[in-house]
Amino acid sequence: MQSKWSFLRRWEGLLLVLLIMIVTYNAFNTPGYLTVNNWVNLFQLSIEKIIVALIMTFIIINAEIDLSVASMMGLSACLAGFLYAGGMPMEGALAVGLLAGIVAGVFNSFWIGIVGLPSLVVTLSGLIMYRGLAYVLLEDRSIGNFPAWFNRLGQQPLIGPFPLAMIIFFVLLVFAIIILHYSGFGRYVYVIGNSKEVARYAGVRVQRTKMLLFVASSTIAALAGLLYAARLGAVRGDMATGFELDIITMVLLGGVSIFGGSGSLWGVLLSVLIILNLRNGMGLANLSGHVQTGVIGVLLILSVLAPNLFAIVRTNWSRRRARATEPNGA
Amino acid sequence: MQHVSKRFDATQALEDVSLTLYPGEVHALIGENGAGKSTLIKIMTGVHRPDAGALLLDGKPVHVNNSQEAQALGIAAIYQEPMVFPDLNVAENIFISHRNRGMLVNWGRLYKDAEAILAQLDVRLDVRMPARGLTLAAQQAVEIAKAISLNVRVLIMDEPTASLSAHEVDQLFRLIGALRNKGVAILFIGHRMEEVFRVADRITVLRDGKLISSRVRAREENLPAQREQVIREMVGREVGDFFAKVEAPRGGLLMSVRNLGKTGVFTGVNFDIYAGEVLGFAGLIGARRTDVGLALFGIEPADSGEIIFAGQPVQIKTPEHAMQLGIAYVTEDRRGLGLTLPMSIATNITLPTLRRYLNNLGLIRRRDEQRTAEEYRDRLMIRTPSVNLEVGKLSGGNQQKVMLSKWLNARPKLLILDEPTRGIDVRAKAEVHHIISDLAAQGLGIILISSDLPEVLAMSDRVLVMREGRQMGIFTRSEATQEAVMTAAMGQQAATSAVRP
Repeated sequence: MQSKWSFLRRWEGLLLVLLIMIVTYNAFNTPGYLTVNNWVNLFQLSIEKIIVALIMTFIIINAEIDLSVASMMGLSACLAGFLYAGGMPMEGALAVGLLAGIVAGVFNSFWIGIVGLPSLVVTLSGLIMYRGLAYVLLEDRSIGNFPAWFNRLGQQPLIGPFPLAMIIFFVLLVFAIIILHYSGFGRYVYVIGNSKEVARYAGVRVQRTKMLLFVASSTIAALAGLLYAARLGAVRGDMATGFELDIITMVLLGGVSIFGGSGSLWGVLLSVLIILNLRNGMGLANLSGHVQTGVIGVLLILSVLAPNLFAIVRTNWSRRRARATEPNGA
Repeated sequence: MQHVSKRFDATQALEDVSLTLYPGEVHALIGENGAGKSTLIKIMTGVHRPDAGALLLDGKPVHVNNSQEAQALGIAAIYQEPMVFPDLNVAENIFISHRNRGMLVNWGRLYKDAEAILAQLDVRLDVRMPARGLTLAAQQAVEIAKAISLNVRVLIMDEPTASLSAHEVDQLFRLIGALRNKGVAILFIGHRMEEVFRVADRITVLRDGKLISSRVRAREENLPAQREQVIREMVGREVGDFFAKVEAPRGGLLMSVRNLGKTGVFTGVNFDIYAGEVLGFAGLIGARRTDVGLALFGIEPADSGEIIFAGQPVQIKTPEHAMQLGIAYVTEDRRGLGLTLPMSIATNITLPTLRRYLNNLGLIRRRDEQRTAEEYRDRLMIRTPSVNLEVGKLSGGNQQKVMLSKWLNARPKLLILDEPTRGIDVRAKAEVHHIISDLAAQGLGIILISSDLPEVLAMSDRVLVMREGRQMGIFTRSEATQEAVMTAAMGQQAATSAVRP
């Protein structure tokens, strides 16, 4: 019944075809496009968002949302910068920045898991609050002059051509795929995303799963914020502003349902590659950043429409086929 | 309705079906799940269009393209789960579909008209009350009133009694009688044989999309024979034993419940259950039987009284704890609470016991999972091409079996079954009854909550009767006659038989 090409009818299949088209187009039009360095650069420009998109995939499949991630990135970076400027050694400052992520995650999970407030509201207030804290710390200053080793970590390759952030991404990606698609925890994430109540009636610890995800989300966002600081070599109160929407776009474009319960990391990975290559290709074709953003917006709408369109096309086909095989059936 | 056919993809849902409804006649349509009843309704109400054939009203062909057009023609349908707006009051719900209401609501007239319609039906309801607090039966009365307000001529009732208690069914049938006298043509779809034969003037059997037979109800003395005949036609094979509880030796004491209560919900529940015993929970809707089940499973823990499980006093606060003790609860709400419909059969079966399928790294051993699912598919005869199919694609009866598999796999000592045969076809029902009987024979203690009185009586060793959160009595098999149980359930001269803890 299902041919080996049937995956093409899924959104992931369409993304793959689209990706191949974009890469082929770019490869023919730009010399040096298919080199490792170019791809590392492509990734490096959005690497912090891509890292956070991994955990956001879990959260959205779980039928929740975390809007506070970008503010968390800003807060952890600003906190580390503030402490460093105040005389703390960089290592200690980074540790506190990361710790802030854990604390914020516990804070979010308390309201979502134990009190039972909707994550949209809790993390929206997180978005405002953490950003506010970052401004309180730094006002409109910018802090730089970090130790050379720190900047090097953000800007230079660490192993082969890959900088630290990319290595962290690869490691997290492998873990995320194993956990989401092969582990019991991942199974719970999907089931809870489909129906909290069914999970509860089956003895699944729904609250604990959700709380773990939100702690992980804030922690990874804090880590991404520190990586961002290292890449930029400076921190400011407004850094990473608005990133949460780019991150959520990556996840949704990857075919993850905003209502939870379905989607895969493979889809998200494809959508990340498409966004990167599409922006790159359009940039090379002299299309402005605004046009690029517009195109991605159209893709996003398509990603929501696609499952319905597929369904319509499929019923039409089978109807036509039924009519063709049975002329007296109509 | 003449020579109607409808095909979906590869399935011929209806094939050359002709059906005639007369004013003032109750026409029952019966058939197993998937026989084409729903498709027929959907064609009559304009949800689907027939591929062939025509709908005639007063002898003239009509085209129904959507439910508004059906409504305008006087065709209305009410379903198993009433579709009322919980936040609107009774009167608003009755007149919800009226278009010509002008800019402002004339509340006085609205209430008076609503009361008039309810009075015609001899239903006493406060029309200012929000629909949220109404019983299911009252909600259905509101839906029927709604249909009358639209001058209904053809009323389709799709399993209207499925969620009602016996007493409420009586009320509904009185309503149907009133409608019949008003000259409404009624198409009644039901699963419960007795009800069909009680209410219908004419009975049509549908099987696999084809019309098998259509006949006027026989006279009283020929009814049992006709019933047998109709059941044979529905399933297309001989029906052996409808109910199958086999006598089994009673094992040791499994659980004692003493004075269990939950404030404002139920109080004073006392019973013992033994291994190998089926303890039926009978009662009307609102008797709070499900709440006792939920308390024993830790979803909504009790706040007073004692539970002694396997000799140990226990406080069950979470489903996890209940599962550790060996208690499983199979919910009445398959779609909402029991199964994740978009996920596979295997995934659903292993959900409560997933930890058993994890290796040391917490990864799922898919092959073991698959094997378990296939075992249960064979054991409970779940009809599916593959255990990797989405549960949502199965019929109700097969979904019910998936739910049973899921909890049997948890290897419980006490299995609480809440309405295990609601909304499933005759064949699946009989299969579920066999399964229950087998499980008891294997030494499981089973609490069977069911609103189907003959089912409870036939399947249970003892029957506990509840009424509005109170235990009215426990009857042994020989004491538990329909009359005795119903009397207790309705609280009239209740519980002459002692409460036997």
